[in-house]
Amino acid sequence: MSFLSFNFALFLGLALLLFHLAPARWRPGLLLGFSYAFYLSWSFIYTVLLAAVTAGVYATALWIEGRRTERGKHAWMAAGVMTLLILLFAFKSADWFFHEFFSPLGRADSNNAALVVVPLGLSYYVFKMVGYILDVYWETLPAQRNFVSLALYGAFFPQIVSGPIQRAQSFFDQIDKIKSPDAGEFVIGLRRILFGLVKKVAIADRLAVLVENVHAKPAGFSSLELLVGAYCYSIELYTDFSAITDIAIGIGLLFGVKGPENFDLPYYSPNIQVFWRRWHMSLTTWLADYLFTPLRMSLRNLGTAGLCLAIFINMVAIGIWHGQTWTFLAFGIVNGIFLVVSVLTLKQRNHFFKGRPRLSRVREFAAPLLTFHLVVLTHIFFRAGTLDSALQYIAGLIPGWERSAIPALRLDLWSLGISAPALLLCAGAFLASEAVTWAMRRQFWIDWFRATPVLFRRALYYALIAAVLLLFQGTGTFIYAGF
Amino acid sequence: MTHPEIHQKLTLVFRDLFDDPTLEISDATTAKDVAGWDSIMHVTLIVAVEKAFGISFTTKEVKTLANVGSLIQLIAKRVK
Repeated sequence: MSFLSFNFALFLGLALLLFHLAPARWRPGLLLGFSYAFYLSWSFIYTVLLAAVTAGVYATALWIEGRRTERGKHAWMAAGVMTLLILLFAFKSADWFFHEFFSPLGRADSNNAALVVVPLGLSYYVFKMVGYILDVYWETLPAQRNFVSLALYGAFFPQIVSGPIQRAQSFFDQIDKIKSPDAGEFVIGLRRILFGLVKKVAIADRLAVLVENVHAKPAGFSSLELLVGAYCYSIELYTDFSAITDIAIGIGLLFGVKGPENFDLPYYSPNIQVFWRRWHMSLTTWLADYLFTPLRMSLRNLGTAGLCLAIFINMVAIGIWHGQTWTFLAFGIVNGIFLVVSVLTLKQRNHFFKGRPRLSRVREFAAPLLTFHLVVLTHIFFRAGTLDSALQYIAGLIPGWERSAIPALRLDLWSLGISAPALLLCAGAFLASEAVTWAMRRQFWIDWFRATPVLFRRALYYALIAAVLLLFQGTGTFIYAGF
Repeated sequence: MTHPEIHQKLTLVFRDLFDDPTLEISDATTAKDVAGWDSIMHVTLIVAVEKAFGISFTTKEVKTLANVGSLIQLIAKRVK
């Protein structure tokens, strides 16, 4: 059941009605029921798996807390975390394993991939549960006694498809809010859903056609067209992913739960470190806490080499978290290299610019531009079907690198599969959505919007709803729902 | 070492690491208050503190630090 389907709209409407009519003390249990119903609509057997994982984690956390010795606590923590990671790795790598080792030998064909379907939202609920176990082990959070609260945390339907990865503490702190949701937050939630829908249909889905065309056959396009395609993919990925995050956060608010943010205007980052602090924040902060910090601590005796290794492993983990493919591995490695170089040279760069005010002013706008282009380059690996086609795409970006009859500066929108007005609409909508994102985090603009006449706000909402209905092309999937 | 002594020495570690000779820290200071104090710099800071005070922390201890005040308390426990 996709968030962009009639069935989901019906499900959400019914769930909201029953939830808000129910007595306060029933609401968490009811929400858990809706979450399992949502999951059940996708697969019965994997719903059983989700329940089994939850039960196992519930018991493991209590056992960790109950052990008197550090050794006993550590053993239960390691057993719990390892089991979850093996489960995640086994499902995520099964498809790759069959293709790499069996297909060339003829023991299986590509249809084998269908035999091993990754459970919906596995990455997200496994990461939530691993974080919870480690929090209990580190004694930053007591083990949850209420099974419904833990089960709801793992299965919460707005977040299970593609996050955001909420921390256990933050979720448990809001259980009381689920019992009596705030009316103001309900309205904010509706607005947030609408914002996400607009981004999805007016920007991401429009650009998807162009991106599909250039990545299907990079050799058929000029350097300029490939560059436009690369920019468009970075914008598509960002708007598509931030759209599903907006919708997830918005739906959560309808039930009284505020989820964590995933983005903070990442494409205006002065360096690649800052970019990774503002992009997919719920995953990167999770990895920083539960992977990078323990790894960096254990490698600290290696000095700078330990720092580089920890960064590199972290970035490769981010890459292959998306899927066990060579392109995602390359995405992780390239990001690892960029990040290591940036971390090791940042102090020197800051020193260089300190005594040069004119150059510093140039740096202010040149640095985000350079960072954006580095990110665009890494996204080519992220999007490409194979490593070969990614390298072919990058080679095609450099005029004259490969012999081609196509002029390097040709810009044929017809062959790209988009009209000039549609491209302009996307660009305008993207700039407007970024301005709204920026303003949403500033109290002055929030107050300004609240002070506008009701008629203006209603007209705006109706216009946006109409735009969503008119522009909706029937796409029901989101890029990050696949991870 | 007393709390003010640790605070004074810790300030020098912060100033050197974050390359800011005027940086002031208090017990309530957190990563959000210091420019450049991100997850990468966090363990680098811990390593610098370990070196400056001749002590060692566990990952579990590092994970429970809430602010500079709790770091000072942890240092005080170790240097006794």
